[in-house]
Amino acid sequence: MYKTLQISFALKNTYRVNSILYALKQIPLLGKLFPETLYSVKELKIFANILSALWEVVLAFGGKLLYFLIFFGIAQGIPEARGREGFLHILVCLTVIGSFVNVYMFEPDRDKYYAVILMRMNAAEYALVNYGYAMLKVLLGFGVLGTLFGLSSGLSVTQCLLIPFFVAGMKTSVVAWRLRRYEKTGISPGENGKDVKSWIAIIVLLAAAYGLPLAGIVLSEAVSIGFMILGIVIGIMSVNKLLRFSRYREVYRRILVDPERQKEIVMQAITEQSRNVITTGTNIVSKRAGFEYLNELFVKRHQRILWNSAIKVAITCVVMFFTLILTFYVEPSTKATANEVILTFLPSFVIVMYAINRGPGFTRALFVNCDHSLLTYSFYKQPRSILRLFQLRLWELIKINLLPAVVIGLSLAALLWVSGGTLQSMNYLVLIVAIPCMSIFFSVHNLTIYYLLQPYNAGTEIKSATYQIVTSLTYLGSLFVMDIKLSTLQFGVMTIVFCAGYCVVASILIYLLAPRTFKIRM
Amino acid sequence: MKFVIENLSKCYEKKEVLKRIDFTFESGRIYGLLGRNGAGKTTLFNCLNRDIKVDGGGFWLEEGGRKKEVTPEDIGYVLSTPTVPEFLTGREFLKFFMDINEKSIGNRKSIDEYFDFMNISREDRDRLLKDYSHGMKNKMQMLVNMMAEPNVLLLDEPLTSLDVVVAEEMKQMLRAMKEDRITIFSTHIMDLALDLCDEIVLLHGGVLERIDRRDLGGKEFKEKIIAALREEGNV
Repeated sequence: MYKTLQISFALKNTYRVNSILYALKQIPLLGKLFPETLYSVKELKIFANILSALWEVVLAFGGKLLYFLIFFGIAQGIPEARGREGFLHILVCLTVIGSFVNVYMFEPDRDKYYAVILMRMNAAEYALVNYGYAMLKVLLGFGVLGTLFGLSSGLSVTQCLLIPFFVAGMKTSVVAWRLRRYEKTGISPGENGKDVKSWIAIIVLLAAAYGLPLAGIVLSEAVSIGFMILGIVIGIMSVNKLLRFSRYREVYRRILVDPERQKEIVMQAITEQSRNVITTGTNIVSKRAGFEYLNELFVKRHQRILWNSAIKVAITCVVMFFTLILTFYVEPSTKATANEVILTFLPSFVIVMYAINRGPGFTRALFVNCDHSLLTYSFYKQPRSILRLFQLRLWELIKINLLPAVVIGLSLAALLWVSGGTLQSMNYLVLIVAIPCMSIFFSVHNLTIYYLLQPYNAGTEIKSATYQIVTSLTYLGSLFVMDIKLSTLQFGVMTIVFCAGYCVVASILIYLLAPRTFKIRM
Repeated sequence: MKFVIENLSKCYEKKEVLKRIDFTFESGRIYGLLGRNGAGKTTLFNCLNRDIKVDGGGFWLEEGGRKKEVTPEDIGYVLSTPTVPEFLTGREFLKFFMDINEKSIGNRKSIDEYFDFMNISREDRDRLLKDYSHGMKNKMQMLVNMMAEPNVLLLDEPLTSLDVVVAEEMKQMLRAMKEDRITIFSTHIMDLALDLCDEIVLLHGGVLERIDRRDLGGKEFKEKIIAALREEGNV
């Protein structure tokens, strides 16, 4: 048993350490400092081992801390849920959810796959040892945090100490029940937790956890404690089943081999999905020639994911516009609020324009359905071809994104006027110009980073850490801009200047660098 | 015409994959490039196609004793996995290709003549390439490389996953188009290399080595190749 624990630990740790080292190598610029042979550098391995150990601590406490903070934080907003009875009521409901949603033994992890399937470790020993370790972490994590949060809610120390055993007991009971069910019916123990029935159960239990206290109903302390003790007793009785179960290898084969295949299927499905968005039909033709011909056919055959979604967004905006206009006439008092919002909330529209931009979908379809294949032909990699196609694509992407942007810009200006207007007539112009400017910025930005960082490899997977960092920064930047407190006029003028400057810089960079950077990642 | 490689080197950090390769290929011949897994065949092709940067040396074409720089139009590269733009029909792809390469396509034919040449049936010509079978996509890839008439044609395991009929058609096509160009055919399948290629070149230990076939029967020649490749394993 001890040896199994040692080996499975070593295996899990090696997997984690290598993942950390791989991630280090992917960091832009910094990654280049690490040699190709980094997996054999002792100092780096020690560093990664420290990170791995820290991660283990985070796993033992971090997740549970977040759990207590979120779920019991919500309870603070419900008067009936505060205090001893409320705490126990919510704990009981949430623990029941956790017992069937978060079952460590049947999670299809990669390290389990390596240990049991590839390296043929003794499945029963592996399952029991690792489950034992997971329960130890549960006892520790819930022991410490349950006591802290329990005491602060007025629970006695004895009651607090029941919490970790109750959580572990409930989980073990569910594991034993699923193993028994597997023996009787053959239903895989890994198949529960994410199906429709489970989702219904989660919703019902969440409603019971928070809805009942809202309605003034809370389980009495005696009932909750009784339920917890029952959970512990059944849990102890269930341990026997776990120890006597003899078909762990079979169960793991069901759970682990299929997900491994499923990952391949998922990858194929993603590529297939991109291909399925191609509109067939003989009526799609082009009278142009060369790259214009290619581009026009591409856009027409990807109508569904490009223009159709832009049109849907634009229609939604029009509907929202008329709803607001109607609201103004039904409830004139809303006009003043709306007027104030329009004059101060322009920065918030950055995140809206970020979200509705078709750039990411456009570039993905470009790569999977077009560049992925054509970049293997030398004529396609000529600098003049790359630049010509970039211009055509940029124009197309700008046009697609401009449709909803213009609708939003005009709607906002009209709403401003209907809701009472403004003394500075420049505000109307700024709204009409700034929103399309944001849209143009995101179009240019998305296509520029695609051309300069071309993140995909031949298998159509994103393999560029820099690309992922840049896209995350774009999102964070958009969120950050939301907090800027500037008037619509000031912010609008700044947006227009920034977008114009960005477009100029991006065009120069594309001209200088894209012929070198726009290639399939090796 | 000759295709000359001189001192070509490529390293991945300290690992020297191509070690100052010197070799001269001659037109009108099909060269079978054999090497063990990881020997660097694809790296060599990627260097010649300028997909990756070389660390040293170079390559050029030589005609009548005059050196000529290799331009992208000189190289055709056929990959083992056919890559064709899925959203175009076969006809549209050929039209686009002919538009772009207007100047480099000599002896221009009509699109249907090209399809006839490749035995692609009439009903398939106006179907989207995404609905083509693996073999048909491969034919299309081969066809456009043939239309461009590159001076050097690099083929990276192009026949491995084709059914016997298509593979045979491809072989015949390669033989038919070998005149006036250098064809370098990388494969793991020795019988295929011996059947199709005029010369066998081994890539082992980071260098290219021609295997002399003179006075050897098929079996002895195979043994000689395997022995040469094994040597590398002991290095």
